[in-house]
Amino acid sequence: MTAKQTRYVIIGASAAGMAAANAIRELDSSGIITVLSMEKEMPYFRPMIPFLISGKKSESDIALVGNGPYKGKDINICTGARVTFVDTKNKIVSASNSKNISYDKLLIASGSSSFIPPEIEGTNSQGVFALRTLSDAKKIADLTAKTRQVVMAGGGMLNLKTAFALLERGLEVILVVYSGQVLSQLMEADDAKLIRKALNIAGLKIITGCGVKKIISGNNGVKGVMLSNGKQIEAEMVLIGKGVSPNIDFLDKSSIRIDRGVVADEYTATNIPDVYAAGDVAESFDLLSGKKIISGLWTNAAEMGRCAGRNMAGRHTRYLGSAGILNATQVADVPFVSMGIVHTKGTDYETHVTETQTTYKKLVFSSDSKYLVGALFVGDIKRAGLYRFIIREKKNIDNIKSQLINHKLHYGHFLQ
Amino acid sequence: MTTPKEIFVKIDRCMGCHSCELACAVEHSESKSLYSAISEHPVPKKRIYVEWTAPDSRMPILCRHCEDAPCLHACISGAITRTEDGVVLTDADKCIGCWTCVMVCPYGVIGRHIEEHKAYRCDRCPDKDIPACVTACPTHALVYDTVENYSGNIRKKVSKELAAGLGG
Repeated sequence: MTAKQTRYVIIGASAAGMAAANAIRELDSSGIITVLSMEKEMPYFRPMIPFLISGKKSESDIALVGNGPYKGKDINICTGARVTFVDTKNKIVSASNSKNISYDKLLIASGSSSFIPPEIEGTNSQGVFALRTLSDAKKIADLTAKTRQVVMAGGGMLNLKTAFALLERGLEVILVVYSGQVLSQLMEADDAKLIRKALNIAGLKIITGCGVKKIISGNNGVKGVMLSNGKQIEAEMVLIGKGVSPNIDFLDKSSIRIDRGVVADEYTATNIPDVYAAGDVAESFDLLSGKKIISGLWTNAAEMGRCAGRNMAGRHTRYLGSAGILNATQVADVPFVSMGIVHTKGTDYETHVTETQTTYKKLVFSSDSKYLVGALFVGDIKRAGLYRFIIREKKNIDNIKSQLINHKLHYGHFLQ
Repeated sequence: MTTPKEIFVKIDRCMGCHSCELACAVEHSESKSLYSAISEHPVPKKRIYVEWTAPDSRMPILCRHCEDAPCLHACISGAITRTEDGVVLTDADKCIGCWTCVMVCPYGVIGRHIEEHKAYRCDRCPDKDIPACVTACPTHALVYDTVENYSGNIRKKVSKELAAGLGG
């Protein structure tokens, strides 16, 4: 007699959903895995979409299935399937383009959408975008030929990456940042000096201390913007990068507990049996502080999704928590890594800064000096992972503190 | 399929001669010869690092090709894959140099190739039967073997020592 095949249904086909599907397949070779995606394209590496704008990568270059760790067999992906309702009593999911689907185990990994601040007027105009999906990227890429100048609202990672893509296409790019500096969520003003310099050299224009108030448009779409200080700037395209909000509307009528996102416990489970949540839609907890957070990071989503997949397949697995800050990238020729607690102004964290002409390193220790709680590296990111390991595992640093502060630490110190 | 082998490190045997580093860089050069490799641009990169800790021990550190590799799952471009032999590889064509792997590797063994803007690490020398670092090590601090053989040999050695101790 063959055992009954478990029916796994996953809502969302990005990092969390696909990591879960693959984790399930590792543990359950016969279960039926169905992944529902509201996007019409097959899954892709979302952080790569700025490269579609620069033209450095094609759609097939950024395909997810069959690449990296996403090689699990027999994962059924339904694209263009927007979930309209989840009936947890009868264990059924209704989707826009398919019949009702029954599940034994359900994962909500519906992700997030761009947040459009309601106080900005005229965001419905033609030529206004909030880059989130492959389809957005293609529309932006198509319009670059007719665009001379772009105004971007928000100074976060996504906008910076996109700004570089647009600069590579030969466009003039003006970044409007409400806070005093770029990447304010990942570092403090003093920490961002080298990055700011690199951005200036790269030709990015930055206006700080004010926001986009109004988007001005004519018959052919966007003509410009008005800033909160009253100044007007010409632009044929406006990009809004003001963060994301979880996709939870379809759960309104369900009994799944929602706070800011779908509430997931430390085993990625929701309040309803056999229903799990992971990724940008899930409200989980910060691995350092234990506080509730919603993370919008690919790395966290993939890890949480993998954990959820294991739990769904019956392998009880605890989720360590999400990292509020866990970012790496390169801005022009300056690499940087920011992780853990890096905002220290007005706090009693013990901080150590080491600076040279081209590098900036900041280490943040708990106020009792016992733990490393954050690290920021700009220019030189060598062995950054070691520091992440110490932060994440809350390692005792008594014997390695001087090596940490002098940046002489290597893995050998853990083998003694 | 034969059981995949791994590179094991016998820390107590390393005397810090750095031969492994040199052999590694040469193997990953264009010419694969030391004399030509030193004049190549960009300079060939080593993927094994002989480190020193007080009071006076040396240890070669290299990619462990972790069973639950953080880099593999964190990569945002799908550039990192695992081969059938368990080797975790970075595909330079797919790598975009975002350094997420550098950020998550607890061993600190993923390097940044600045000229090419790509991440690099130990690939266990796919063109060789025995990795270059292992061949180069004069004290056999580096051992290329299957987990079963390696741990079996250690057990045998310890048993012998114990038996000798009991007999004496």
